[in-house]
Amino acid sequence: MGQTAGLVQKSMVIIDSEVCKGCSLCVVSCPQKNLKLMASMNRIGYHPVEFHYHGEKGDCTACGLCYWVCPDFAIAEVRRLKQ
Amino acid sequence: MRTEKQFVKGNEALALGALKAGMNAYFAYPITPSSEIPETLATEFKSPEYPEFKIFLQAASELEAINMVIGAASTGAKVMTATSGPGFSLKQEGISYGAAMEIPFLVVDVNRAGPGLGNLGPEQSDYFQATKGGGHGGYKNIVLAPNSVQEMAAFPALGFSLAFKHRCPVVILADAFLGQLKEDITFPKIAQEKFETPWAATGARGAERHLIVSLHLDFADQSKHAEHLMSKYEEVGMTEQRSEGYLTSDADVVLVAYGVVSRLCRRAVNELRAKGVRAGLFRPVTLSPFPIKELKSLADRGVRKFVVVELNMGQMVFDVKLAVEGKGSVDFIHKLGGFLPASSDIVSRVEMISR
Amino acid sequence: MTTLQGQAASEYEVKLGRLPTLTGKPTHYCAGCEHGVLTRLVANAIDELGVREKTVLVDSVGCSVFAHDYINTDAVQSPHGRAPAVMTGIKRVRPDLLVFAVQGDGDAVSIGLLELVYAASRGEPITVFLVNNAIYGMTGGQMAPTTPTGMVTTTTPRGRDLIDTGPPLDATKLLAGLEGPSYVKRVFLPVAPMGTTDLYSARGSLEGAKSVLNAFKVQLRGGFSFVEFISTCSVNWKMSVLESKRYSSEVLTKIFPPGLYKDKMGIETK
Repeated sequence: MGQTAGLVQKSMVIIDSEVCKGCSLCVVSCPQKNLKLMASMNRIGYHPVEFHYHGEKGDCTACGLCYWVCPDFAIAEVRRLKQ
Repeated sequence: MRTEKQFVKGNEALALGALKAGMNAYFAYPITPSSEIPETLATEFKSPEYPEFKIFLQAASELEAINMVIGAASTGAKVMTATSGPGFSLKQEGISYGAAMEIPFLVVDVNRAGPGLGNLGPEQSDYFQATKGGGHGGYKNIVLAPNSVQEMAAFPALGFSLAFKHRCPVVILADAFLGQLKEDITFPKIAQEKFETPWAATGARGAERHLIVSLHLDFADQSKHAEHLMSKYEEVGMTEQRSEGYLTSDADVVLVAYGVVSRLCRRAVNELRAKGVRAGLFRPVTLSPFPIKELKSLADRGVRKFVVVELNMGQMVFDVKLAVEGKGSVDFIHKLGGFLPASSDIVSRVEMISR
Repeated sequence: MTTLQGQAASEYEVKLGRLPTLTGKPTHYCAGCEHGVLTRLVANAIDELGVREKTVLVDSVGCSVFAHDYINTDAVQSPHGRAPAVMTGIKRVRPDLLVFAVQGDGDAVSIGLLELVYAASRGEPITVFLVNNAIYGMTGGQMAPTTPTGMVTTTTPRGRDLIDTGPPLDATKLLAGLEGPSYVKRVFLPVAPMGTTDLYSARGSLEGAKSVLNAFKVQLRGGFSFVEFISTCSVNWKMSVLESKRYSSEVLTKIFPPGLYKDKMGIETK
C-alpha cells in the first residue's frame, strides 16, 4: 500500500470489492503476488481481494493476468502510468 | 404459373395462401397428411412471384423446426410451420415459449387420428391440445378452423394478421380430409400486410436493447407478465370470436361442428329441413376464442336442443355446454379412427333427439 | 469502490478496462466459475470487433440462462438445448446479425445434441460456446453426458458406471468429424496449477480470448464456429475452487484433450 518514498507507482489495479467473491484466482495467477484476500468481508459475505503495488515477488507490471482470470469483473481496470 | 381460379388440394391452397400473405420463412418437417405444404413451398421457393419468401429450410425434427420458427419470428419476420398430431405434440414446448415471449407465428396442425401414431385419416382429437394450450403453463393460442379449400387459402393471411396484432402464436387446425380435399377455388385477394415490430430482436442499433425472454424469477415480475398475458387473452376473447350460422335464425335444433364435419352437417341440415325438422348449423371459425357470444345468443333466443358432432371422444362439446349455460340440452355424435359419419346417420340421430 | 494507492487514478491510462458489452451487473455464477470468465472474453471480442449493436445473444438453459443480464446486446431465450435451432432461425432471416449462444454441456450435449449437430452439419454461420464442466450445474449436480466414468454425482451416487451409462461423450470430436463446421476448437479455460510452483497459469484465459475472437471472425466470414471450454464446477464437484482447477487440468484434459480440431478457413494462421 502507498508508495516507497521518491518512487512513483507505475501501475494500478482497480478492484470493485463489492462484487468480488474471493475466489482467489487472481491471487494465484499474479506472478508478483500483488493480490491478497482481505480479512474483512464485503456486503455479499466474501473476503474480497486487495491490490498491493509492491507484491511479495515484485512490483505490479500491469500484465493484466488478474483481469483476464477474474470471473466477476471485480478486477475492473488495470492501469498504467501515462508516459 | 398459377392462375387465380384453381383446382387445388387443401394443403396446397394453404401453402399458396401463406405465400400470397407475404410469408418470409418456412421451417419444414415432413409428416403425413401435411407434407404437401412444405412440398408446395419448396417448389415455389425462389419463384419471382413471391419475393418475400426468403427462407425455406427443412429441419431434422419438428422440435428443431419450431425452434427455428421462434428464432426467425423473434426478428419480426412472418414465419410458419406445419405438421400433424405427433409433430404437434413435439411443438408444444416451442409454442409455450412463443406464447410466453409474445412472438407471432403460425403453426398448422393437420389433425389425423390418434393418439400415438394413429393413422392418416381425419380426426378432431387435437382440439384440446390446440385450444386449451397443449404446452405447459397458462397461455392460449388463437385457433382458426377452416372448413373448405377456399378457407385454407385465406386463413394464413388472417392468421398472420391476428398473430402480429396480438403478438401470439396462431394455430390453424385443419384435418386430414381437408388437407387432401381438392376443390375449385377462386384465389382470394390477399393483401400483404406490413406489421410494425418495435419489440423485435434485430441488434440494438443506437437504441435500448430488446430482451425476448420468458424467465422471470422474481414472483412479482412473473405475476405482472402473466396478468398481462391474461388480459391480452381476455381482449382477444372479446374481439376475435368468429363463427358462421346456417339457418339458425329460426332453428329448433342446432348442430355445432367445425372443419370437414361442418360440411356434412350442412347437408344434414338440408335433409332435416326437407323432412320438416327446423334444424340449423352453428360453425365455430375460431375455436379459440370460442364463439361463446353467438352460441349463447341462440340459447337465449330459445334454441333448446344442440347437437355437437365431432371426430373425437368429446372435446368441443364441453365448450358448447359451457356457452349454452344449461339453457338447452347438448347431445353428442362422434366418429373415431379416421371415419367420417354419414350425413344420414346425423339426420336420423337428430330426428330422434328432436322428437 | 476503488482502492487508490496514493496517486490519482486519472494519471494512469486504462490498459484493460470496462467493456461496453458488459452490463456490469454482478453475476449469479458461483465463485471461481468459468462462465464469468467467458462472459468477459465474449464481451471483449464483441467490443474489439465493434459489433455490439448488431449482435443477438441466444440464451440457453442452465447456469447461462441469465447471460442476457450480463451481456449488453439484444437477446432471445431458447428452450433447453434448442439454441442452435433458434440461432438458425434468426440468422437465416437476418444474416447481417452476429448470433451466438453460450451453452452448458447438459444443454448442448444432452437434450440439444440434435440441434447442435444439425446446425454444425449445415455449416450454419452461427457460433456456439460450450462451457463443459462435466455435470448439470444449475439443477444441482446430476450426471451429464460428459461426466467422467466413476464420478460421483447426485444421480450416480456410487460413481458413473461405464457399462450402464456408457463413456463420456466428446462433442468437439463429434463435430470435428462433420464436413459442415468451419472452426472447432477446445480450450482449457481455468487457471491451471503448474507443478513445482504455487503460481497458476492464466494461459487458459488468454487462449480463450483469442479463440472467442476467432470464432466470431469465422462466423463473419460465413462459417459455423464452435469452441468448447473445459471448465469447472467446484460446488457440484464438492471441491474448493482451486481443487476444482486441479481436477479439471489433471482429469478432464485427458478425457477431453484441448486443441484445434478443425480450422477450414485457417483463421488461426491468419
